[in-house]
Amino acid sequence: MTRPAGRGGAAIDWSEIRRRMADAERALEEQFVPAPGQRRAILEARARALAAGAPAEPGASIEVLEFTLANERYAIESSWVSEVVPLRELTPLPGTPAFVLGIIHLRGEVISVLDLKKFFELPDRGLSDLDKAIVLDDGAMQFAILADAIVGVRRLLLDDVQPPLPTLTDVRADYLLGITRQSEVVLDGRKLLADPAIVVADETGG
Amino acid sequence: MPLDNEAFLKHLLATFRVEADEHLRAMVSLVLELEQPAPAERLPQLVETLFREAHSLKGAARAVGLSEVEAACTALESPLAALKRQEIALSPALLETLDRRIDTLGRLLAGEEAAVPRPPPAEMAPPIEAPAPVGVPAPAVERSERPSSPVPDAAGTVRISTARLTALLVQAEDLLAFKFSAGHLAGELRTLHAEVSEWKKACGTSAREVGILRRMRERAVNGARGERLPSGVDKLCDAVERDERVARSLHERLGRLLRTAEQERRTFGGIVNSLQEDMKQALMQPFAGLLELLPKLVRDLARDSGKQVELCVDGAAIEIDRRILEQMKDPLIHLVRNAIDHGVEVPAERARRGKPPRGRLAIAVTPKDGNQIEVLIADDGAGIDVEKVTAAARKLGLVVPQDAGGLSRDDALALIYESGLSTSAILTDISGRGLGLAIVREKVEKLGGRIAIELPESGGTQFRIVLPTTLANFRGLLVAVGDSQFVLPARSVERVARVESGAIRTVENREAIELEGQAVALVRLSEVLGVPIAAPAGEDDRHVQLAVLASGGKRIAFVVDAVLGDQEVLVKGLGPQLKRVRNIAGATVLGPGRLVPILSVPDLMKSALRARPAAAIPAPESARAPRRAVLVVEDSITSRSLLKNILESSGYDVATAVDGIDALTLLHDRQFDVVVSDVEMPRMDGFDLTAHIRQDRKFAALPVVLVTALESRAHKERGIDVGANAYIVKSSFDQSNLIEAIRRLT
Repeated sequence: MTRPAGRGGAAIDWSEIRRRMADAERALEEQFVPAPGQRRAILEARARALAAGAPAEPGASIEVLEFTLANERYAIESSWVSEVVPLRELTPLPGTPAFVLGIIHLRGEVISVLDLKKFFELPDRGLSDLDKAIVLDDGAMQFAILADAIVGVRRLLLDDVQPPLPTLTDVRADYLLGITRQSEVVLDGRKLLADPAIVVADETGG
Repeated sequence: MPLDNEAFLKHLLATFRVEADEHLRAMVSLVLELEQPAPAERLPQLVETLFREAHSLKGAARAVGLSEVEAACTALESPLAALKRQEIALSPALLETLDRRIDTLGRLLAGEEAAVPRPPPAEMAPPIEAPAPVGVPAPAVERSERPSSPVPDAAGTVRISTARLTALLVQAEDLLAFKFSAGHLAGELRTLHAEVSEWKKACGTSAREVGILRRMRERAVNGARGERLPSGVDKLCDAVERDERVARSLHERLGRLLRTAEQERRTFGGIVNSLQEDMKQALMQPFAGLLELLPKLVRDLARDSGKQVELCVDGAAIEIDRRILEQMKDPLIHLVRNAIDHGVEVPAERARRGKPPRGRLAIAVTPKDGNQIEVLIADDGAGIDVEKVTAAARKLGLVVPQDAGGLSRDDALALIYESGLSTSAILTDISGRGLGLAIVREKVEKLGGRIAIELPESGGTQFRIVLPTTLANFRGLLVAVGDSQFVLPARSVERVARVESGAIRTVENREAIELEGQAVALVRLSEVLGVPIAAPAGEDDRHVQLAVLASGGKRIAFVVDAVLGDQEVLVKGLGPQLKRVRNIAGATVLGPGRLVPILSVPDLMKSALRARPAAAIPAPESARAPRRAVLVVEDSITSRSLLKNILESSGYDVATAVDGIDALTLLHDRQFDVVVSDVEMPRMDGFDLTAHIRQDRKFAALPVVLVTALESRAHKERGIDVGANAYIVKSSFDQSNLIEAIRRLT
């Protein structure tokens, strides 16, 4: 006598369960092993999608370095980050725009240090430490941006990154990959590094 | 495999380019030689050499699959072959043809950079022979029998790419920074050793006193009731004696370390110096590399302007740093163009003046004393009309008319360097734009050389350029302006001087000072750069420190706060993000990790003229009303300088400390009216610092403002508990609330 396996059910009908699992398995296989014609169609569709440079596949992620700046949380793809160093000595340079804080010396190289708050024209309120320098490098351009604190490195699901809200009208909006659900600002390292506006080239001479 | 082939082909092409360039240059000079009236017996040899050059290049081009180059070589070869077989005679028309074909070849080779090469011969079907002219046997591949170029003693030499050589040089130069920092470290050790030495002496004194104490005690023990001394004293005595031993051993070890460091610094310094010297020697190249461009240039220019010019070159074998040679290319070409365009007259004019129709342009390189060479560029042309120069200058508004009368010949000649000045009535495409000489002089001065124009009695014009044979290590004058330090290139610093401020005169709203009987414009470096000046130390307002800079024929005296020294420095660029910063040419490393900007003198001179006329000497108002002193304690360098700036611009005298311990030391040294401190800091935090301040009766009334990221109530209460007078939370920090708090407290 079989009765539905309830909470208090004494007996389990194993044969029934096996049968149902086998059914389910068959159904799954039928769905995923298409007939030869179908297979071709699917493959062609996939090829087209790939050729079109399909949008990030679901589940794709990037590795980011997270940091805080003026009480906000930022992230930047770690492939643009060459290193993070504590800011100890800083030589200010007269005659540079406000977002250039100065230069530092790192293993024989001179690296300029930028304040993103100033570059993004964010309101200058509050006093922050800004004593971690994140060195960004894309092979051609190199500079360091300052952070108050480094949170760490983690993987970020691209699905979690939303395009910036249209209400975000500050300069920053141009340099973002997006904003995460936790309102973490994800910077577009490629854009930041390639931006001509970030280069100081005072051709007016003296 | 295909990848390897690609790399191989790339390498092959690079090698080919170097080789092709040599062949091309050889051919150009051979054709020029053929143009000269030469003894008949030399002719076959020249033709033969030229033919072989073309032929070798053809073989090489074929090997790397550059068929156009190959065809161009063939086109060059056929008339030469005919010439060799004496089927045709050498004629001006033929020379013209040869010249044109070499030009074509040159353009082809120059354009080859981007060309996509055909697959390498290994994978290729047998190469299709370009149709060979009748009678000329198709040569076998003969790359080896290339006639050697006129480089003296090629045996025992290797070819190295300039890129690799430059990379080596940069690395050798980077070692300089280590040499400097080794010196700095040894200096630090010396200071430390001296300090420990003092400490050892103090310990010695204490130990002697302890010895006396012990003897007294022994006497007391031997006497009646010795044990009265508390037992702790024994321990204290032991501790003092132990310290004394530690101090002695530390002193000795430091002494050894110091000697080793000094010795290593000397050895290392010697090695770096000789490495640099050798690197410089490796970079020496004969002047010929530059001079061999000229015959063709002169011939083409002369032909284009309908003049006849004979070029005489002397001293081509003299060697000079290739970097200087590269930099001199444009100036030299410019001067040669000038000489032909402005100097040498057309044959008819020359005949009228009783000169031979053929003009003469002589370029002579001669070694001079002290690692210098002189390049003399002389033509026998019309010379420079001083009157015309003055008139042109007047037209540009450079000379005030009444000045011109008293203008000496040399002064008038110097005007020729002014931008925009040209005496040429018509602008030709060769020269006459008037910008050139200014740039020539700037380049020469930048290399550490100088240039002079002379108008010899015999006529013509000559430019005398003196250049260093090697690029000297850069020497800089370290100066202080406010809290900042800058390096001025020593070669542009004419002199430094300390003058009385009373000697500064105001002429037409601009300040000037008389130096050696000459009025020199005076500007403040702080104003030109826009850096805040230091709070007047009040020690000496009656004198100002000057650095007189000279560039482009101008002198300006810059007021600095102090001249700190003169030393060798390594020039570094500012990185890709700072492509060009006004007034700043680069940076150098002084001491471990500390960068100091190097100023650009040409920029400074321009900025100085633009800077607003300085107001009369600023009255040191603060000398009368003593300013309130604030001690800022903050571990973050950014916040520290921000706080310092805010407070200084509000009229406070600010000192800074990096943590609580540092602050306590400063507090004992100097008098402060208020302390502004961060809370979270290494070694000693703001709470502990406040507690320490409150414990010391000397500081009982000293107000303490805590500025902190810790916003919780508990933290705030702790702040009040330890005795802080104000608590400002960083997230809501605003400069007005800080200033307000300080104003209330002091």
